[in-house]
Amino acid sequence: MDALVLLIPLLPLTAASIVGIGQLFGMIQGELDETKTSHMASWASYLSCLLALVLLGSDLLDKNTGSYTLGHWLNSDTLDVQLNFITSGFSLRLAALFSVILAIVMRFSINYMHRERGYHRFFFFLCLFAFAIHLLVLSGNAIVTFIGWEVAGLCSYFLIAYVYERPVAANNATRVFVTNRIGDAGFILGVGLSYAWLDSVNWGDITAASEHITIAESTEIALCFAIAAFAKSAQLPFTPWLARAMEGPTPSSAVFYGAVMVHAGVYLIILLRPIFEHAPLAMTVVAIVGLLTAMYGFIVGLTQTDVKSSLIFATSGQLGLMYLECGLGFWQMAKWHLCAHAVVRGYQFLAVPSLMHNMQNLSTESSSRRIPAWLYMASLQRFWLDPMTDWALIKPVRCLAHDLSYFDDHIIDSAMGTPVPAIQAISSLAQREEHKIGAHLDTEADHFALGTGLAGKLTQGLATILHWFESHFVLRGIGQNTINYGRELGHIANSFEQYVLRPRYLVLFVFITLLVAF
Amino acid sequence: MSNASFPLLSLIIFVPLLGAIIVALTRNMPLAKNIALLFATLELIATSVLVGCFDSESHGFQWVENYDWIPSLNIQYLIGIDGISVLFLPMSALLTLMAILASWRSVQHLTQVHFALLLALEGVTIGVFLALDMVLFFLFWELTLPPIFFLISLWGIGSERRSAAIKYTLFMMFGGVPLLFGIIILSVNHATATGGSIPFDLAFSLPVLLATPITEHLQAWVFILLVLGFAVKAPLVPFHTWLPTVAMEGPTQLTALLTGLKLGAFGIIRFAMPLAPSAAAQFSWILGIIGAITLVYSALIALQQTNLRRLLAYASISHVGLVIVGITNLNIQGLQGAIFQLLNFTMASGSLMLVAGFIQHRLGSTETIHLGGMAKVMPRLTCFYFLFTLASIGLPGTSGFAAELLLIISSLLAHPGISIAVLIGAVLSAAYMLSFTRRAFFGPISQTSVKQMLDLRARELTLLCLSALLILGFGFFPNSVLKINQTAAESWLSNIIKQPALTQTQRSTKY
Repeated sequence: MDALVLLIPLLPLTAASIVGIGQLFGMIQGELDETKTSHMASWASYLSCLLALVLLGSDLLDKNTGSYTLGHWLNSDTLDVQLNFITSGFSLRLAALFSVILAIVMRFSINYMHRERGYHRFFFFLCLFAFAIHLLVLSGNAIVTFIGWEVAGLCSYFLIAYVYERPVAANNATRVFVTNRIGDAGFILGVGLSYAWLDSVNWGDITAASEHITIAESTEIALCFAIAAFAKSAQLPFTPWLARAMEGPTPSSAVFYGAVMVHAGVYLIILLRPIFEHAPLAMTVVAIVGLLTAMYGFIVGLTQTDVKSSLIFATSGQLGLMYLECGLGFWQMAKWHLCAHAVVRGYQFLAVPSLMHNMQNLSTESSSRRIPAWLYMASLQRFWLDPMTDWALIKPVRCLAHDLSYFDDHIIDSAMGTPVPAIQAISSLAQREEHKIGAHLDTEADHFALGTGLAGKLTQGLATILHWFESHFVLRGIGQNTINYGRELGHIANSFEQYVLRPRYLVLFVFITLLVAF
Repeated sequence: MSNASFPLLSLIIFVPLLGAIIVALTRNMPLAKNIALLFATLELIATSVLVGCFDSESHGFQWVENYDWIPSLNIQYLIGIDGISVLFLPMSALLTLMAILASWRSVQHLTQVHFALLLALEGVTIGVFLALDMVLFFLFWELTLPPIFFLISLWGIGSERRSAAIKYTLFMMFGGVPLLFGIIILSVNHATATGGSIPFDLAFSLPVLLATPITEHLQAWVFILLVLGFAVKAPLVPFHTWLPTVAMEGPTQLTALLTGLKLGAFGIIRFAMPLAPSAAAQFSWILGIIGAITLVYSALIALQQTNLRRLLAYASISHVGLVIVGITNLNIQGLQGAIFQLLNFTMASGSLMLVAGFIQHRLGSTETIHLGGMAKVMPRLTCFYFLFTLASIGLPGTSGFAAELLLIISSLLAHPGISIAVLIGAVLSAAYMLSFTRRAFFGPISQTSVKQMLDLRARELTLLCLSALLILGFGFFPNSVLKINQTAAESWLSNIIKQPALTQTQRSTKY
């Protein structure tokens, strides 16, 4: 029974790869092939939904062993990443819930996306996302969870940039991905620390060994994972990305930012419950961040004028409450809250288009009257979070990059020396000719050998000295006898060479080279 | 050392060189191209057979061939492979094959010479990977220079290609000198350490030199000289300025080979660290810091680039920094991650550079101002571009992820401070690659030339598919690579960490 868990992520992956390859090689394209794509995607998701429900049923009947291991994915020294899955408990329940939501959204999108230009692309990424989120939820170790985590983020990137011709969409997608990448860095740091201190990357071992590490260590691990969770669930200070992510099509917004992906962060915290319970500081941080985000979401949500934005801030706020519950230790409540919220928010997002359609002629009233002016202002500006990040993070990095680029081009490059460009070399040849016939057209720059950079200047100086030596002593001193001397020198050189070819002199030569080396 | 029953390795070195001669002598241009393709394919098959026959369980070198070359100095023709070098051979063969296919139409004059030089470069590059005699290694190392020089100066796409070729040559010459000094010191040390007379007891073969004891003082010198020599080729900051220049001026198929095959990093793994083990253990943290600086420094500069080729050059330098960090961590994950990363970049950076070449060939530029909205007209090229980009920033599913994961974990175990630099590098790499993507591939089409661009042709599609398959294959099954170099990595490490003191500090961070 447990082996079925493998098929839950595998089915959407297969569908995704068939759609993707078919599209790449032109086998699936245009409106005619829409049914092919939609059948593939929807049946994969129905089947994986069915499997998840079957597995859930057998878990409720206590037929599951709780875990299933397929094999080793990566081995290096003592690092052993297995392909193992959790087949019981909260993970499986969440997977079943998510698979139901995904199946519904998949069915919804078939009609909603009809005749859209990126129809096949949309289903490719939705299937890939289904794979990723199931991997994330069901995986028994941190690294495979991270794979799902990151692939889900990637799908979100591509669906935000769904209408990539619009610069705003492309810009937001990049920004969202890079923001999430900071969270990913936290995740991988947490995984690394767990491996360093607990010698394992399996969730089961990590949570079981939480008793054996010091509070400082578990706090560090917990905080790293908390950063990842905050970034994924759009908690402060990462909240602004969620509003930017609304560029994608409605079904993808529903599944990514309403029902499924944003909850991954809370799931991670719940999964790591023993570690967090062993780290009071991390619990406090989670609670405070959750509380602040909830307040932030509430206040900013008051002044939103379009339905998608207000839903987004409501989602942020609710997620904040979940974090607050986790931080205060109400784990059971957080789990229920998560599931209930996923269902409600998923429905609300899917209903948005028809809601807008129905409300076309009705005027809506903003709820701004209830709050003081300064708060209203702050709420309208979303507490200046985006400009603040720009000012505190992006602008300095950009400036630093600019300065370094200048430094690289003008200082390092010129210190290392560049050869004289070809044109300049030719012109100096011409200058030499001019010099020979006595036409001093340009006396300023008629150096034949010019060097740049440290090494170049040194060589140039040395060459000048040698040249001076050569012209003053060697050439003038010898004069007409050069040829005779040259012949004699040739004889000497010949006999010298014969000597040198004997081994002992070769050795001497090696020694001299060595001496020079020191 | 006994010789292998069949001289497969010599065959692998000399097949491309023979091919180069035949191609250069062929008068008929289409025939010459096909011969070049044939020899490149043969080479790929031969190297793949070699990987198939490779025994990953056994320690030491395999398929060794040993003949006297200059007996009076004990210089031998000694070649062999181990788990560290074996996978580089099919990779370089594949990349050369891709480079030949990519330049199928774009090279119009002196076509025979161009393909002959590419094959010759392949032969000597493989020689570098195989050579176990220091003098033979040095010969191959320096022999890479002439083909590259002519490829840059004759078929370069920039207006200052000659200058770029000279710049490259000067840098490489500069790197060669300390390398040669290091080799001479090592061999003389062998003669003195064994108490023999100098010309007859000099030794240049790597296995013999590895067994020779060296004093601490001398090791430091050897390490510094060798690392200096390899750092220029790798390249590490501040010796990196040749790469962006060459990327801008040189032909893209050559730049793909230069960014894809990181001989410098291989040299550090193969020679610099094992030949001066205690110095390597002592100074590895300094080299690690240089690697971390290279990583972050060139990632930041890459953020600033507006030209795809220049951006890729800086990205490649940043990757070298990452690999150096992995090597200097002195643990198995670090070394395996570094080798994995090198293989990944052979595919990802090489292919990205070829994609840049396709764009260059179609538009005459890879400057962002001339691009924009390419995703709409060239969906296939965009697909492949994305796949290689994702591999280069280490997204799961691609080979980059497994490599980056190993490198991050290894630096966390060895130097937690440096691991922060690695993580910053990971975030920055996403930022610079994707912000360029946004400007070049997304957004509205602003240039009419972009509107008329053709998508990938069948030939281009095939060659990109080859590397895409490998990237995904390695990404899904990383153990296929790690198994091959596991044993070699263990013996490499045990050779360097002989001192118990160091192993203790290594493990002290562990619970």
